Amino acid sequence: MKKTFLILIFSNFLLSELVLEITQGTEDPYRVALVPFKGDKEISDTLNDVIQNNLIRSGEFKIFESEKLLSLPNNEEEIVFNDFKILNIDYLVMGEILTEGSNISAEYQVIDIKKGSKVRTSTVYGIPNKNRQLGHYISDGIYEEITGIKGIAATKILYVTQKEDFNLVIADADGANEQILLKSTEPIISPVWSPDSKKVAYVSFETGMAKVFIQEIASGKREIVIENSFQISSPSFSPDGKFLSLTMYQDGNAEIYILNLKNKNLTRLTNHYSIDTESSWSPRGSKILFTSGRSGSPQLYELELRRFNSRPKRLTFDGNYNAKGAYLPNNEGIVFVHRANTNFQIAIKYFDENFIRPLTEAQMDESPSISPNGNVIVYSITDEGMGLLSGVTLSGAKFRLPAKKGAVREPSWSGFLR
Amino acid sequence: MFIFRNKLNFLIVIIFLSSCSSMNVTQEKVNSGGVKTVEATSINNENIRYDSMAVFANATIYFEFDKSNLTSKSIQTLKSTVNALNDNSSIQITLSGHADERGTREYNLALGQRRAETVSDYLVLNGISKNRITVKSYGEERPAVLGQDEKSYSKNRRVEIN
Repeated sequence: MKKTFLILIFSNFLLSELVLEITQGTEDPYRVALVPFKGDKEISDTLNDVIQNNLIRSGEFKIFESEKLLSLPNNEEEIVFNDFKILNIDYLVMGEILTEGSNISAEYQVIDIKKGSKVRTSTVYGIPNKNRQLGHYISDGIYEEITGIKGIAATKILYVTQKEDFNLVIADADGANEQILLKSTEPIISPVWSPDSKKVAYVSFETGMAKVFIQEIASGKREIVIENSFQISSPSFSPDGKFLSLTMYQDGNAEIYILNLKNKNLTRLTNHYSIDTESSWSPRGSKILFTSGRSGSPQLYELELRRFNSRPKRLTFDGNYNAKGAYLPNNEGIVFVHRANTNFQIAIKYFDENFIRPLTEAQMDESPSISPNGNVIVYSITDEGMGLLSGVTLSGAKFRLPAKKGAVREPSWSGFLR
Repeated sequence: MFIFRNKLNFLIVIIFLSSCSSMNVTQEKVNSGGVKTVEATSINNENIRYDSMAVFANATIYFEFDKSNLTSKSIQTLKSTVNALNDNSSIQITLSGHADERGTREYNLALGQRRAETVSDYLVLNGISKNRITVKSYGEERPAVLGQDEKSYSKNRRVEIN
């Protein structure tokens, strides 16, 4: 596993009152010089802040701001390559903000210092009063150019907050720009995104018992997925968005079913007197991962959907509690909640390894959700009785998204939105 | 060489310069994602008025961690519940199962349900009609006491009869 070094950065976003805390980054990060964007000072400050924090949060970058640089070029012709080479800088990012009335766009360049040449020039057209979004798009372009992997700065996170009432909330991946989808006096649990990120499914207790709802984000239109008298929970969309797996308590016990969202046909998947729940789909929709108590303790099993009469195959054998699993987007392994002795941790198991790798070391880490590029896991932690969101990258970087008010829990990462 | 890729409401134009080294040229537009807030109208359980006689059947049954079997103490409590239900044949009861906060929320929801079903099974075995019983679970969502210690946890692993 990669070694990590410790850096502590607290940066205050004046606009959002959000505090982002990075606790660890990877060894040998990309060294990037960020020259402040030319143009409107206020927008430039926002963009620089957003881009810098996004790149640092990925754990893969070390950013050199203007005060750490030996020269600040105004344009490409002015770049003194030796000033950057001497600082061992890999890439230089520079750009300009263009405003025309209320229309804002930004043009930026990524320059490979070692090659001595420009590797990217991009223009992003913004939306009035959404300058942070503009910054997220630029960050993702820089990230993709340098790492070769799609960035996740312009994605969103869905989660539940509780102060007195329960709220279902959507925010940017950095925790800013919170918007409430649903307010309720009764508990809301298990929120998930549809694959196109236009809808969410969740469990609400507003009718007096657990029921699964689907809600359109833009219109607020919502419905109970099955009208019957049974408790229903733990929704998960199939990758094509046509099916929803869920847990129904038809005979008093938790069993997993697949609901065809078009014709509402239900197919029963499990039939065991112990608990079967927390289903989730493999990236190509051919397998279902779920938690079952059939061995005497909660463990993870998978079921082949395209094989006739397939039996659940047990995937976890170490530890006395392995639950709430999800497949990595590249299908190389699973991420889940693991307890070896008394602490609940987030852990990963690769299919080509026969052991579990713990990713966190707190006492009560829960609800892991994987970013669409597969590089970051967001999860909930309990700190002095308070629920907070935390993140860990597979390269070893850790960060926190502290709550502004109330307890925050059960994060779910959207798909790519760019 | 120009490649145009149209995806929803943004456009990416990628130009590969086939000179000495390749450079990416892109154009894109920020996606406006609208969000509408909805307020759930809930059936507030606190406002449901129970038959005053049901008070005689009120009880709380406690459980061990990750367990749903009845202890001998619980059986003592349930014996009085059976008597109260036999004495007052008009009483309908609700069994609400709960779990402590350790473990995942969905597994705890299922565990709460199992606990409530265990209590229901005992009552039915002792002659109480299943039609008089409603079974449901709140998992770890409605703790009786707040606190991160075994004393608090043990008070939250319960089935409430009312």
